[in-house]
Amino acid sequence: MAVAALPAGGIADHIHPEPQGFVRRYVFSLDHKIIGIQYIVTAFVFFMLSGLLAEAIRTQLYNANGGFIAPDTYNEVYSVHGSAMVWLVIIPLLTGGFGNLVFPLQIGARDVAFPWLNMLSFWIFPVSGLMLFSSFLLGAPTAGWMEYPPVSLQGAAGTSMWCAAIFLVGVSSTMTGINFVVTILKMRAPGMTFTRMPLFVWGQFATAPLLMIATTALAAALAALFIERQFGVPFYDPTKGGSPVMWQHMFWFYSHPAVYIMILPGFGIISEVLPTFARKPVFGYKLIAFSSMAIALAGFMVWAHHMFTSGLAPFLQLPFMIITFVIGVPTGIKIFSWTATLFGGKIHYTTAMLFAIGFIGLFTIGGITGVWLAAIPFDLHVHGTYFVVGHLHYVLVGGSLMAVFSGMYYWFPKMSGRLLNEKLGHLHFWLFFVGFNGTFIPMHWLGVLGMPREVATYDPQFEFWNRFETISSYLMAISILIFFVNVIWSIRNGKRSGPNPWGARTLEWQIPSPPNYYNFKHIPTVYGLPYDFSQPLPYKGLDDELNDTPPVMAGAH
Amino acid sequence: MLSIAAIVFWSTFPLETYLPAAIVTARQVDHLFRFMAATGSALWIFVAGYLVYFAIAFRVKPDDPPDAIGLQVHDNHKLEFWWTVIPTLFVVLLSIVSVRIWYEVMLEPQNGLVVEAIGHQFYFSFRYPQINGEVTDEMHLPVNVPVTLNLTAADVIHGFWVPAMRLKNDTVPGLVTTIKFTPRLVGRYHIICTQFCGVLHSEMDKQYLVIDQKPVFDRWFKSWQEKNAHVSNALPAAGGGAIALQGGNAPAGKALFAQKCTACHKLAPFNQTLVGPGLANVLHDPAHPNLVNGQPATPQNVAVILQNGYTGSMGTMPNATANGLSSQDIANLVAFLASLK
Repeated sequence: MAVAALPAGGIADHIHPEPQGFVRRYVFSLDHKIIGIQYIVTAFVFFMLSGLLAEAIRTQLYNANGGFIAPDTYNEVYSVHGSAMVWLVIIPLLTGGFGNLVFPLQIGARDVAFPWLNMLSFWIFPVSGLMLFSSFLLGAPTAGWMEYPPVSLQGAAGTSMWCAAIFLVGVSSTMTGINFVVTILKMRAPGMTFTRMPLFVWGQFATAPLLMIATTALAAALAALFIERQFGVPFYDPTKGGSPVMWQHMFWFYSHPAVYIMILPGFGIISEVLPTFARKPVFGYKLIAFSSMAIALAGFMVWAHHMFTSGLAPFLQLPFMIITFVIGVPTGIKIFSWTATLFGGKIHYTTAMLFAIGFIGLFTIGGITGVWLAAIPFDLHVHGTYFVVGHLHYVLVGGSLMAVFSGMYYWFPKMSGRLLNEKLGHLHFWLFFVGFNGTFIPMHWLGVLGMPREVATYDPQFEFWNRFETISSYLMAISILIFFVNVIWSIRNGKRSGPNPWGARTLEWQIPSPPNYYNFKHIPTVYGLPYDFSQPLPYKGLDDELNDTPPVMAGAH
Repeated sequence: MLSIAAIVFWSTFPLETYLPAAIVTARQVDHLFRFMAATGSALWIFVAGYLVYFAIAFRVKPDDPPDAIGLQVHDNHKLEFWWTVIPTLFVVLLSIVSVRIWYEVMLEPQNGLVVEAIGHQFYFSFRYPQINGEVTDEMHLPVNVPVTLNLTAADVIHGFWVPAMRLKNDTVPGLVTTIKFTPRLVGRYHIICTQFCGVLHSEMDKQYLVIDQKPVFDRWFKSWQEKNAHVSNALPAAGGGAIALQGGNAPAGKALFAQKCTACHKLAPFNQTLVGPGLANVLHDPAHPNLVNGQPATPQNVAVILQNGYTGSMGTMPNATANGLSSQDIANLVAFLASLK
């Protein structure tokens, strides 16, 4: 009988042995934790490369007449910088990286629902990354990360390579999205109802449908662009009956939800770090969870706010403006809730907490300027200027990247069993904070006063602030260097962390660091929210996790 | 306190001293900017102030036991209710303010001076009624005269932005977009391209919009009329020579139009594109004087397009052989189009 073949604890204790051999364990691994770390390492390699491109951009703009690199090289550099940072760094870090690493542990699962699909998702990602960077050999794309046709139809051969690379990384995202939705819906531990899920899981749960649905629109648009470039089938060329504005609709139908793909998991990280280090329940749990879902849903209805200057019928623009304003409400609720979480706390200033508090302050700036940009009359002035560049970096660097760093300092012990050095961490934070603001704050007034984006040279009246930005950006680069040194040094020499160095209460901290291959010896039962510091832990069945009792293995079958 | 100071600072911020307001609605946009900057920065200072205050006041003190925990509050429905309702009310207010100013920007006076700007790699050219050909250096406008500016592009998408106007629109090949405004301040203002358009995109900020008093504008206008007097507005006809249009029969043209043309053209205003543009009053349309490959829609030019077909910024149209049109058919069609007003 099939039932008799199960171990005593039923399906919940069904553990397969860990594969032996380096390749199956660390290269083509099926383990969500290893895949998560693979994502994080790969994404940070791409982060370093596109960070170097960013410094090339800033060095070029130190002088009003440029002179560091030729204009066409400059156009290649900023296009690849933008594409790589979005598709190869922030999205993989927050979904494939921290998503894989953390949320299956937090819901008490042994792995994601489809481990083979997970492995495939990961291995597509470095391949597409290499394709994107190798487009430099063919003449990289030059029309920015948006690649509006018809000008992208004139781009060098590398533009087709760009299409293929982004298409592939989109396939990888879609598969990750499917995997995460199914895992969260079907594989939560007994008792982990939706209203007991940690907020990081809520963040991933709001993000995964966006990955699944929105990315397909981008894939269609990219396939059409590729076919038009290679085989001349006119989708976008107006002289042959195509429509260039169609690309913009398809692109932004993906890329606006993509903004939320890049921030909702970050919201999740912040919502874990704040209660842990304030020793307080997160304020307004339900409102934070529901506002993530509201943001994800409304995110599909605002794409045309990127297109107010593209020649849309004027009355079609109004609903997009107003829905965008409305998104400010759930976002504001989150910010107020996080601030209130600090009230009456016992705040421990770890580096993770510094980045989390910094995130609230800086992301709020990006959120507020986002509301300004949605107001059509103001957008008609600053669209396509450095104001937009400043806004975007406040959301993606001051928001998403700060959340990534916060998550790195927080979960590094779970990955390696060792702590990152806190002194270097504090230095990293403060240098980054100062450098970041110095780099991106002046962009706002440069944009309002008339500096367009995507330019290799500019009006000399803006030179002073551009020099200020360039010098600040070097400060940021130094802080990133310190971070890398810290990580590499701490992997071997960091202080041993033990299972739960932070006194955190979510499930992943109740098992050893790094966790065993099978995560849990017995699947725990969940009795409540993880954030009640005055109560005993709301889990049962974890007694054996930290002692030497061997797990019950499934028989061969 | 700081929030109030921010409101006072931004609500009186004189943006015009840094960037002149060249058109009437620019000042409305500045009002909107001041409103948003004042409320936005006040909100940020409020949030950041509490953030910093809480962060300092509630830090772990040296004499706290290591397992000290914070205040165990989960939520406060009253507080959450208000911080949902107040932002919602603010969103309503902001929507009202924005829509009102949007109306003023969009509903500038109709029937102004019609000018056309065409984006090229890597410059803008301008067309005026009664000036043959293109004006290639600067765009001149008389002060206090309403303007209807039609925008299109010859190759790729460009962005037409005059920072002093607080207004921009893309120039999209195959599409005609319109912005309307009234210049209010004499001066020279940069025209800047804001959509990446190719390798020399950065150089596309060297042209000027010049707003003059009416007599000065008239002198400039006259000089270009004379300079371009010998530039032809006619399209080159295949095989040379003009196409005979005498004897065109409008009713026969109407039947032919229904049979041959309605698959791609509506009898609607020019900018209502089906595949090609709407042709309701193409020969009498004051708003789109120059839009057939940048040439004016004269009967002769329309006949040339019917004869030779067309490939350009508006798309592609087959020639007379492919469409099965005789020269009498062409004359009939032009007569029909001329009869529409």
